[in-house]
Amino acid sequence: MEKLFDLRFIIGGFFALVGVILLGYSFLGNSAIDSVTINRWCGIVFIVFGLLMIFLSFQNNGKDE
Amino acid sequence: MNLQPIDYLIIVIYFLFVIGIGFMLKRKIKTGNDFLMSNRSIPLWITSLAFISANLGAQEVLGMCASGAKYGMYTAHFYWIGAGFAMIFLGIYMMPFYYGSKARSVPEFLKLRFDERTRTFNALSFAVMTVFSSGISLYALASLMHIILGWNFNVSIWLSASIVLIYITLGGLTSAVYNEVLQFFLIVLGIAPLVYLGMQKAGGWEGIMQNVNDAKLHVWKGMGSASTNPMGVDAFSLIFGLGFVQSFGYWCTDFLVVQRAMISKNLNAARRTPLMAAFPKILMPAIVILPGIVLLALQNKFTGFELPKNVNGAVDYNMALPLLLQKLYPSGILGVGVTALIASFMSGMAGNVTAFNTVWTFDIYQSHINKNASEKHYLYVGKATTVIGILVSVMTAYVARNFNSIMDLLQLVFSFVNAPLFATFFLGMFWKRTTSTGAFWGLVSGTLAAALTYGLTVAEGKGGWLAHIHEFYSGTSQAFNIAGIAFIVCFLVTVIISLVTKPKQHNELIGLVYSLTPKQKDSAKVWYKNPIWLGVMVLVGMLILNIIFY
Repeated sequence: MEKLFDLRFIIGGFFALVGVILLGYSFLGNSAIDSVTINRWCGIVFIVFGLLMIFLSFQNNGKDE
Repeated sequence: MNLQPIDYLIIVIYFLFVIGIGFMLKRKIKTGNDFLMSNRSIPLWITSLAFISANLGAQEVLGMCASGAKYGMYTAHFYWIGAGFAMIFLGIYMMPFYYGSKARSVPEFLKLRFDERTRTFNALSFAVMTVFSSGISLYALASLMHIILGWNFNVSIWLSASIVLIYITLGGLTSAVYNEVLQFFLIVLGIAPLVYLGMQKAGGWEGIMQNVNDAKLHVWKGMGSASTNPMGVDAFSLIFGLGFVQSFGYWCTDFLVVQRAMISKNLNAARRTPLMAAFPKILMPAIVILPGIVLLALQNKFTGFELPKNVNGAVDYNMALPLLLQKLYPSGILGVGVTALIASFMSGMAGNVTAFNTVWTFDIYQSHINKNASEKHYLYVGKATTVIGILVSVMTAYVARNFNSIMDLLQLVFSFVNAPLFATFFLGMFWKRTTSTGAFWGLVSGTLAAALTYGLTVAEGKGGWLAHIHEFYSGTSQAFNIAGIAFIVCFLVTVIISLVTKPKQHNELIGLVYSLTPKQKDSAKVWYKNPIWLGVMVLVGMLILNIIFY
């Protein structure tokens, strides 16, 4: 439960969620190819960044740096 | 700019997270110290990112992009000359005094080093400055949202103010700092794709070099004279006015940023906060200035990238970033970009409000109105001050809407207040002979000298309300020179009065003056924990960047 209050977990959660939305939109939307590409790549990058932050929140117990 | 439901969804998610952080931290806030000082318990990586994020407000994100389009690479001086050195100086030399003295605010340090009147003068001017700054941020946000998204001015004002109010009132400074870190990542990750798309469309760096006037692609070329570079500033004014006075005055004495380092867990972390922050800071031009330069290349290659005119008929450079968002971002990532823009405004506003409530509660209320109340009492005062601060900000935003020129006036007053302050601190920390009377009258006369210089000089049609004895090439040059003169006057008056008044006893100044304080050896063996090594690395980084973009 304490992990939910870790800032890295919150930031990770935010970017993972926004990433999933962008990735999903890139598959569902009927936009031009360029729009699909940028949303898809940004979605993937956001998800990777978000998961990395969540992973870090479960590491470094007791350490702050 | 036409937002789709997905864009609004991302904005709503951001608002929910921001408020959620406030609710999450609410249970940890029990005393005034928790609310206003985060109980000095924040980890280094958070304080470092909050340190630069507190400065990453609307002026930074929109203003630097606008300056990038107006002055080109010369704008990078605000980072490589106007930030790096001062951040190193703060971390290595000044932070031991701030943190070691146990002062809770910059004005409180002034009280310990000098006296109550110097503290009160600084606390009052700082409190007024921050709350009006917050209002200007709010006004700018609402105006921009109205112009680019067609949102109602009143709704934008009250919605943003309410969200900032909720998360600060619930979680205090910790909530503001946590949100600043989230906002930092959002601004960087939300604008980085714009830089990539813009560069790609412009034909990469090669395309930029072919399509942008060469005079805007350097940082030092033509700096020998104010007339031979787009910024209208000569090298001396730049180095002394920006690199020394303005930069050190802001980064080393403005409580808004210094507060982020003062809430670190220990002295070593407090010293490393500005140094760690300096690494991303010197790279920020890639996110905030480069888009403006990319826009210049796109204007030369394509149609439809022309900037609109403002009410005075001049090119409105502040629209550079919104224009790029509109032209280059499709729905989806557009929501992220607009959210990043909103985040920058809210970050600036929250930073000002948290600094305001700390200074008001500790340096004005506790010092002059109610000295010995309980911690619980100061918690309520801090919360009440937050509400009042936000309401005054909202009022300022409405006043600025009706009297547009008040924004220029307020910005100007801020420069009068900040410019001489570094002289007071510099002398106070490094010259034991500096007296309280000298410091107080030095500050007052430095501030008056700044106002007088503005009244006697003109630049871009501004200033000269007393007489017209000199005209500067640009407003930037005028600002640097005003800062320089204010510093010199404050410095000289402080020295002269100190020489004829009685200084404090040496034993009262231990821990407050460099020469009277035992030197602490930093036992950190690892390079990344050693402030000196970190400072050297930042210096090398700045040197390399200055050489590359000479």
